[in-house]
Formats: sequence, C-alpha cells, structure tokens
Amino acid sequence: MKRADETVTTYEPDNSLRKGYLSVFGEIVTELRENRWLMYQLFRRDFLALYKQSLLGALWAFIAPLAGMALFLLLNRSGIFLVGEIEAPYPLYAVLGLSFWQLFATGIVAGSNSLVKAGSMILQINFSRKSLVLASSGQAAVSFLIQFALVLALFALYGIAPGIGILAVPLAVIPIMLLTLGMGFISALLNALVRDTGTVLSMLVTFLMFLTPVLYTKPKDGLLLRITEYNPLYYLVSGARDLVLTGALAEQEGYFLSALFSVGVFLAGLVVFHLTETRITERI
Amino acid sequence: MEGDTVIKAEHVSKKYSRFLKKSMLYGIEDIGRNLLGMRSRSGVLRPGEFWSVDDVSFEVKRGETLGLIGPNGSGKTTLLKMLNGIFWPDRGRIMVRGRVGALIAVGAGFHPLLTGRENIYVNGAILGMGRREIGRKFDSIVEFAAIGDFLDTPVKHYSSGMFVRLGFSVAVHCEPDVLLVDEVLAVGDTGFQSKCYRRIAELMEKGVVIILVAHNMETIRHMCRKALFLWKGQVRDMGDSDGVVLHYLRLLQEEQIRKAQAEKGEQSRTAPERGGGGRITGIEFLDGQGNRADAFATGSPLRVRMEYEASGEIEHPVFAIHLYAGGALYASFISDSRSPLPERLQGRGAVELSIPQLHLPAGVYAVSAVLSREVEYNHIDWHNQEYFLQVGRKENSIGLVALPHRWSPVAAQAALKAKRTGEAG
Repeated sequence: MKRADETVTTYEPDNSLRKGYLSVFGEIVTELRENRWLMYQLFRRDFLALYKQSLLGALWAFIAPLAGMALFLLLNRSGIFLVGEIEAPYPLYAVLGLSFWQLFATGIVAGSNSLVKAGSMILQINFSRKSLVLASSGQAAVSFLIQFALVLALFALYGIAPGIGILAVPLAVIPIMLLTLGMGFISALLNALVRDTGTVLSMLVTFLMFLTPVLYTKPKDGLLLRITEYNPLYYLVSGARDLVLTGALAEQEGYFLSALFSVGVFLAGLVVFHLTETRITERI
Repeated sequence: MEGDTVIKAEHVSKKYSRFLKKSMLYGIEDIGRNLLGMRSRSGVLRPGEFWSVDDVSFEVKRGETLGLIGPNGSGKTTLLKMLNGIFWPDRGRIMVRGRVGALIAVGAGFHPLLTGRENIYVNGAILGMGRREIGRKFDSIVEFAAIGDFLDTPVKHYSSGMFVRLGFSVAVHCEPDVLLVDEVLAVGDTGFQSKCYRRIAELMEKGVVIILVAHNMETIRHMCRKALFLWKGQVRDMGDSDGVVLHYLRLLQEEQIRKAQAEKGEQSRTAPERGGGGRITGIEFLDGQGNRADAFATGSPLRVRMEYEASGEIEHPVFAIHLYAGGALYASFISDSRSPLPERLQGRGAVELSIPQLHLPAGVYAVSAVLSREVEYNHIDWHNQEYFLQVGRKENSIGLVALPHRWSPVAAQAALKAKRTGEAG
C-alpha cells in the first residue's frame, strides 16, 4: 500500500540549526494553515467546557466590566481617585476601554496557561502546540464580542451615536491581539518551564491595569505621564476607544509605532515558540 | 532511506535529569542555545543527567510489527515518544515515513465535561483528522466504541471501559502508516480487547507498521514477529520475538534471584530465622531423560525438582508448584497427605514433581514454588512467579489447554455413509 503523499520526517538534535533559520517561517506558516480546524475545535472545546457547569455562563462577561466600572465610579465620586476630564459619560468611557483591555488581559493569562493546562496531552500526542496557544485566546475574543454588545447597549441608553470609527474596530483589535498572542507564546513557554511565571503574570496584569489609563484619562504630568508615553498598551487601547467615541485617532504616531511593536512581538514570539517547543515539552 | 523502510533509528539517545530544579536550569540553557543558533551540545551529559535511551538503532519495514520489551524504566516509552516526535533525540537520528498514530494513552485529549460526540471531534482533530475525515468516519467510530445511548452524555459519567473504548476507537480510525501502541490494550474487557487486536491485525494486513509495547509476553509473541529488548536504555537483544522474549524472561529471572538472595542475606544478617523456618533453595526443570532444560514440547514429560533447607524442624510440610501465563493460573500442583513425602523436614533435601505429559498450549509460563506448613497458604517460603518455562512453539499456541489428540483421514465411502445415517435420523 504505497501512497504518493508519504513524506519522510526526520528528528535529530538541533534540527533548525541544520536546516537554516529561514526555513522556520515556512514551517510556521504551513503548520498554522494545516491546523486551522484543530484550532477551531480546541477553541470550541474550551468554550463549551467553560459554560457547561456554570450558572450564569456568558453573563460573567457583562458582570466583570460593570463591577470594575462601578468601583471606579465610586472612587471618583468620593474623591479618592480622579478619573480626569472626560467628554463621554463615564460608564461608556470605562466599559469601552475595559472591553479592549480585557482582550489583552484575559488573552495573555489564557495563553500563558495553555501549555501547562494541556499537560499530559502534550506528552502523549504529537500535535500542533501553537494551535493550543492560539485557540486559548479565542475565549478572550468571545468575551470581547459580548462586552462590545454591552457598549452598544450603553450608547443606546445614553442616546449617543458612536463615531463612524466604530466600523474600524475589527482593524483596531488586530494589533492588540497580536501583542497578546506574541506575549502569550513567550509566557506559555516560560510557564511550562518555571511555574512562577503564571503567578507573576496575573499580578502583572492587575498592576498594568492600574498603570495604563483605561479607567482614567492620560495623566497631565509626573512619573505616570512618562510611563504612559512609553506604554504601547495605552496607545492601542485608547486609540481604539478614540475611534469609537470620536471617530479619529488622537495620537497617531504613538499608535502606529505601538502597532508596529505588536507585530514585532508577535513574530518574535512565534519564532521563539517554534524553535523551543519540543525542548519545553520535555520539561512540562 | 530505502523504499520499504518505514522507520529507521540510528544511534538514538535521550537524556533526562534526575532533579527537577536542575532540569529547569538545563532547560533554560538549552533553549537559550537554540535561540542563539548555537549547538545545544545535547550529546554530552551534565551533572545529574543520565541516558534514558542509549544508542538504540533499528529499522522497521512496511507491514512489520515490532514488539518493545523490557522492565519498567528501561526506556520503552521514551523511545515511543521519540518515534512520535514528541521528544527529539539528544543524539542520533530518527526517520519516519508517513503519518504516525499513537495509542500511548487513549482519551488523553478528552474533556470530562464534553459529551462523547463533542469529544470525538476534538480528539479526532488533535490526532490529525480533518473535518471531512471525521464526518465520514463518525458513525464507524461510534459503532466500534459501542457506547450506545451515551453518545450525548458528558464523558465524565462514562465507565472507565467506555472511556477507553471511545479513545481507542477514535485513535484507530486515523489511518496511520505507523501505529505506536503502549500497553493500552490491558484495559477494557476481553471482548473489546479481542476487537482491538482484530483491528490491529487488519491494519497490519494493510501494511501499517505497528510498534507495540507490552508487559504481557504472550501478546508480544502473538502479534510481533520481531522484538527489541531494552535494558537500562540499551538494546540487549533484537530479532525473532520467540528468542528475544525467552532471553528477556531469563534475565528477569536471574535479576529476581539475585535480588531475592541479596534480601535473604540481609535478613539472615539482621534477624536470625525463627525456629521451624526454612526456605526453597532452588528449582530445576528436568526432561524425560533427567537432563536440565527450560523448553519443552507440548505433551512431553516434565519433572520439577524443588530443593529446600529447613533451619528447624518443619512438621507436615506442603509443597506446591503453580504455572501462570498472562496473569492467569493455568495449573496447580499441591502435595497432600496422600503424597509419599516425609512427615517432617530437617536440614537440606529435595522433592520432585513429575508430570508425565505436559498438555499445556505453547507459551512461556511463570512458575511459582511454595513451601508451607500444614496448609498451602501457610507459607514458609514463597517464590512467586520467579521461574520461567517455555512450552512448544508459537505456531499452535491457541486455546487454554492442549488436550491430547490426533487427526486422521476417513475413507470417502465411510464418510458418506455416516452422513446419510445422520440425515435419516
């Protein structure tokens, strides 16, 4: 029984070293193309499993941003924390910003856990491990869609029409996703190697959330301003928010540099992952 | 690689670290080197590392079945994982032609909360099947697994048998060119086991290469023409499965005896034996002529000589020999009051068990020897399945017993007559 499509696979140490680094990109593209259906199935599995034994199910995607927004509203009203001057109603401003922020926050946490969570499966079946990381961010994308529906409801509630820029949201989401996935690839590897990564990351995400003007406006001066100026997440999140609220990008240069940065992070993450995934498997 | 070679392993080695913390640090070092485009110097052992698989070379051709045998920790599973591409070798090279399917742990990708139907799709995708392929095979998968009404029940409510059946069913439907099987057949009921073996036999006929890891030597002898015996990561023997299996069992026996002797030595040093104690000092298998042997033809005479040493006096001793194969007790020989044996034992001595005709099917039997007081379970010394005995050749090894029989021709007219009488009656 001879088949034409039989290919010979060779396993040896330092494989990519032998084949040359340029072949890496070709391999990655082929792997991703061949495994689209696997990614969908893995995403579907996580999605179905998440809501199966949960009472409120997808409602949590609404509850989380509303609770966060309410907290900031309370802090602002009592004068403990000042959110700054905002033209749009604060709940709208906050929920919109949070929806983009959550895309990053839940995405990176899910990505970092994807390999460790799959654990024994990775040790027993040889399948595309990149698909595992990519599929894990699908959950974040679904939450984003649900939260965005909440945003639209708020627009209707306040009787405001969103800017024409809302049509560009699918585009604006791309750099955020790329940054999340790039960092997700690296953190998945690190987490598989050293379990501290997961703990550090969930702390870091909370920390970053307060450091990035998502629930408040860009600070006028001080150290926080300087940090914000070099924070790509700020440009990506607030850029996307500006598009929806006003229909224009306020800080174009910063936004495009940040978008470029996220493309770079994504590619770097993908290559690092590709070169080291079998080594990592041994250490899981 | 030549046309009909499907797997070729050349000097394959894999190292592991004994310590988790070191393993983490070494992992970081290796990854750093890989990223910087430096050689990872994987062929060198660092402190705390050891070779789990050491310089293994072999070749498997289309349609062949190779059995991997060896004690626990001899590197069988690591070798399988390298053949599957989950781990890469640290030294040497593996070449595999075509799609590799693995039955290393069935149902590994199952999510407990999802239903059987949902899990078939997910697991199939993980095993490399496409959307159309699963759609086409879905009914066949469900039928083979025989899970009936449970198809839309979350798999966490499945019995372990159903879980394994579904996992196996998905895995064997992925039409691999090479199928790696690791002990999974040990689970599930016998009906399903034989179904699995039939399925594997079908795949073999199609030219699929099967690599089988099993601790049941009968399975290896039945399914594999060739066997590879791993011992501490190295190839100890390779070739015709009959010979390799026997070699392995002998080594295992020697090892066990050595261990038992070491333990005994330890005991006698630390705690002197209690009064009335004793031990079995040896077992010998003798053929009809009284020569030592460990391979016998079906139906030939067998004598088992058991040597003992009583440290005190043993009253009403009972001797027993048990023959096991594939975990089942095939035959028991227990002495009783009718046996013309001494009422009490003192010092060294020997007894002999004679079996005039050994009507056992071909196979390798593990032999237990027991010395007890008054009743068989009141052990003074018990050598549990420490000896091995080969009976017959594997060509005719079917069935549980080998009853004495002969085949003969019947004259044509006599046969016809018998038939007519039968019809009339």
